[in-house]
Amino acid sequence: MNKSLKEKLLSSFSDIQIDITEDNKVFINTKKDDVISVLNFLKNLGYKHLALISCTDWIEENEFELVYILSSYMENDTEYRNKEKTNILVKTRIPREKAEFVTLINVFANAEPYERELHELYGIYFEGHPRLTPLFLEREYKIPPFRKDFDTKKYVKEVFDNIPFVKDRKEKK
Amino acid sequence: MRELELYFGPQHLGMVGNFSITLNVEGDRIIKADANPGFLHRGFEKLMEQRTWIQNFPLVCRINVVEPDSMELMYAMGVEKLANIEIPERAEYIRSIYLELARIGSHLFGLWAYANMLGFDTVAQWAMYHRDLILDLFEELTGGRVYHIYILPGGVRRDFPEGFKDKIIKTLHSIGGCVPDYDNIFFNNRIFYKRAKNIGIVTRKEAEEMGGVGQVMRATGMKYDIRKIEPYAAYDKIDWEVPTRKDGDAYSRIWIVRDEMIESVHMIFKLLDKMPQGKVFNKIPNPFKWNIPKGEAYVRCESSRGELGLYMVSNGKDKPYRVHFRTPSYSHGLTILEKALINASIADVGNIMISLYIVAPEIDR
Repeated sequence: MNKSLKEKLLSSFSDIQIDITEDNKVFINTKKDDVISVLNFLKNLGYKHLALISCTDWIEENEFELVYILSSYMENDTEYRNKEKTNILVKTRIPREKAEFVTLINVFANAEPYERELHELYGIYFEGHPRLTPLFLEREYKIPPFRKDFDTKKYVKEVFDNIPFVKDRKEKK
Repeated sequence: MRELELYFGPQHLGMVGNFSITLNVEGDRIIKADANPGFLHRGFEKLMEQRTWIQNFPLVCRINVVEPDSMELMYAMGVEKLANIEIPERAEYIRSIYLELARIGSHLFGLWAYANMLGFDTVAQWAMYHRDLILDLFEELTGGRVYHIYILPGGVRRDFPEGFKDKIIKTLHSIGGCVPDYDNIFFNNRIFYKRAKNIGIVTRKEAEEMGGVGQVMRATGMKYDIRKIEPYAAYDKIDWEVPTRKDGDAYSRIWIVRDEMIESVHMIFKLLDKMPQGKVFNKIPNPFKWNIPKGEAYVRCESSRGELGLYMVSNGKDKPYRVHFRTPSYSHGLTILEKALINASIADVGNIMISLYIVAPEIDR
């Protein structure tokens, strides 16, 4: 099952690296220009369920790794086949300095909040996204807080240590 | 008619949980809905990058307040996959029983929220009482009522105490004996039918496009359940059915919740019958000096709300490099809800939201 998928992908795309593990996970590494067409190709093969868009900050290599996780819905309402067991992880790397990518909304509608989250927490700009407004956070941060160079302890010290204790305020009176 | 903006939640009588929706309304009809999460954003995934593998267990269970156990399982399964740890057979059975108990507890909580919102206060009180009986079981097994920290990589923390099996059976019988009462007062009630039928319809096509899982998918007739698709723990060792409905509305989704609770009770009885003897925990390396090999893993399970996933990256150190939870409420609450609310009336907002089974802490993490 997964081997024929591998052949199909290899014949359609150059510069693509595919690893299949025993537990039905397919890891696909590709360059960033190909990602949308690979995802479109997989969607047409029946992998219609976008489970997750994630991002890893590889600070030493100065790159972000975007991960798109796909699986498939059942074609038949009652019968379980091997196809649904497969999870496909499509991965690509984008530079950290100019973190930009294109949106996936036209292919998968539920990509919208995931991309909004990555924009907020990692500072990745998704071109073509209709609302990259804040999702979770209420303050402005100089460095997006989920990046590896954002130091949580330092931030807490700077922000909350400057608020005086109740006792000090009383003494001033 | 004039178009108005209405802030629905977090301080609104019709809202359950820390969640808010900005509605554009014309009279009573909703034209546009903007889901607005973030009231419970605690940044767990960032915090977990700064704690050792074993220290993260008290954190993961707090991601979803209603159902902490699936989160524990997910994290344990991720660590097991990365570190190549096997678990004993008895532990698999115990995990399944424990997770099904948690599912019943979570569904009863969901039933409380839904019945309360519709004004069926009696049903809500019953559901809360019956959930409490399940929490008593958890207290005896793990020492905690809501957060248990029971599943660990390599198995479970301790075996069933003496006489615990009989206690499970007794409790489940006393809850199951009330099913006819629940049916009479709520599920077969004409008011429930009138309020929920043809409300918040999510068709098969819409659900597939917008990442629907769990009850949303099963209410359209598809037996989409990770416990069947990719069995974990002991779910492939017994026979059981996935309850489905056809209409895709709030009425179908709440009926599926009821049927799932009954199916879970049957599953627990079957699992208790087949449970083998043996140890419940495989020794793991010293957790204080535990470096997990480089790699990445994606694991998934069926929580009471649908497909729950975990993407985990290790760089060979004593802490996770990246943890990301895929929670079912995320797509349901931020994509499907916004679509399902269009053209609904203001009185049905809570109805649609709770029937989609959205919990806010799971979205924010």
